[in-house]
Amino acid sequence: MIEVHNLSKRYGTLEAVKNVSFSVGTGQVVGLLGPNGAGKTTIMKMLTCFHFPTQGTALVDGISVQDNPEEVKQRVGYLPESVPLYGDLTPDEYLRFVAQARLLDPKKQNERIHEVLSACGLQSVRSQRIETLSKGYKQRVGLAQAILHDPPILILDEPTTGLDPNQILEIRSLVRELGKSKTVILSTHILQEVEAVCTQVLIINEGRIAAQGTAEEIASTLKGGDTWELILKGVSSEQISPMVEQLGAQVSVNHVEKIGDEKISLRLFIPSNVESKTMNDGEGIFDWAVDHHIKILQMNRRRFSLEDIFVKLTTEGESK
Amino acid sequence: MKGSIHRSLALTRKELFSTFNSPVAYGIIVFFLLFTSLWFFYVQRFFAMDTASLRSYFSVFPIVFTIIIPAITMKSWAEERKTGTAELLLTMPFSEWELVIGKFLSSYTVILIALILSLPIPISLLPLGHFDGGAIVGEYLGALLLAAVATSAGLLFSALSKNQVSAFLGSLIILLIITLINQITSTFDVPLSLAALINYVSLAFHFESFSKGVIDTRDLAYFILITALLLFINTRVILFRKWS
Repeated sequence: MIEVHNLSKRYGTLEAVKNVSFSVGTGQVVGLLGPNGAGKTTIMKMLTCFHFPTQGTALVDGISVQDNPEEVKQRVGYLPESVPLYGDLTPDEYLRFVAQARLLDPKKQNERIHEVLSACGLQSVRSQRIETLSKGYKQRVGLAQAILHDPPILILDEPTTGLDPNQILEIRSLVRELGKSKTVILSTHILQEVEAVCTQVLIINEGRIAAQGTAEEIASTLKGGDTWELILKGVSSEQISPMVEQLGAQVSVNHVEKIGDEKISLRLFIPSNVESKTMNDGEGIFDWAVDHHIKILQMNRRRFSLEDIFVKLTTEGESK
Repeated sequence: MKGSIHRSLALTRKELFSTFNSPVAYGIIVFFLLFTSLWFFYVQRFFAMDTASLRSYFSVFPIVFTIIIPAITMKSWAEERKTGTAELLLTMPFSEWELVIGKFLSSYTVILIALILSLPIPISLLPLGHFDGGAIVGEYLGALLLAAVATSAGLLFSALSKNQVSAFLGSLIILLIITLINQITSTFDVPLSLAALINYVSLAFHFESFSKGVIDTRDLAYFILITALLLFINTRVILFRKWS
């Protein structure tokens, strides 16, 4: 549905996007994640033909954004980041303009506008000037404009920014629903949003793709092993290190802290290349504790969250 | 082609709706009607002249247009860029030409309305003497052509400017220069070839033959070609922004 090959965009001396390649299939909801200035919006602007790439190609539904922008724009619904709208129009008038500009069948325009206003919860404000609407309603008008022509591809730049929690849930649910039949690319800073809505993640950093795939796929590539958090009784913090060595040479102690009488908090890292299966699913740790007469009061495998992935990938350059 | 026209007209309708939703357009039209009437009846003293001619009425049109047309066109692109709505327009399936024509038609319609509202003056004066009807038609045709050039120039400046004020000032200055540049040839002694070149550039010079009731194809071609050229440059400015 969307294929991007070695896409680059230069603004003067600034290279905002550098040799980015990815593809998105039908029915996928892809989250573009990245810090401010990473190049997410620039990628979206190129896919919607607002800007042309300096280098590389982008095919939307098999059509090149440079060679046939009008055809591409027919197939794409776009919600820009700042949700620019004509404040002097009402949502009804604005959607009518969009319908006419997109050459929707005049006989079906009223019906479609009505449908979209309902889907976006805008019926109650349909005759109110847009400039008088709240941020949440404006966001919905922007979304209504993007879906009015029922495009197969939706590109949404931070669609839930500025909305209250209820509105966020509504928009997410709408995006999820749309994602069943359409290709959706959305950018966001909200990591939970990606986890809640997206089937795929593209992490962009400094104009390049730092990682892509499902959150689990990226996590398994990055984490390289499991972190276990334990609260143990019957062992002191001084005794624990030599005992841990018996778990295996590759197992390391990340953190140990005395938290009470004969109680310690321990964080272990077990690399994924440790061959013992029992070690990886925690059973090995349990057996090891029994062998050393240590009582396990709490045992928890720490999940590698999207937040961990994001921080790891987007701060690697800084730490270097 | 049909689709292009419909898209351009959709934009024109939207623009006109916004234009007449604010008092500015009404103010501009009233200014045009008042200024031209006061000029004709009080400055040129039409009744005291006792001449059955409207040349002095139409002679002020080039100057008035240099003021009112930039005021109409200034917001066309500059405001879209400022508020970010240009991103919406440019990501809808408009071609650059459809956008420029849509914008042009909306601004031009405002001028057209102003010109239609000026018709009661010649119509009410016609029974008072033996006016040359052909000359009046020619003068209106010249005014329409002149307005087309000024509108396309105003739109181009709006596309080049970041805000309305610079769009207004830029087009005002350029229009004043190309309108009045022929005054150099009548004020100073300039070589004939240079005078011909200066006159060729001047809007007022080409408008003059229309105000005499003469429809010269060279003047007609000048107005049409300059309008088309300015609109074409406008489409290139939009396209250039996509690449830059």
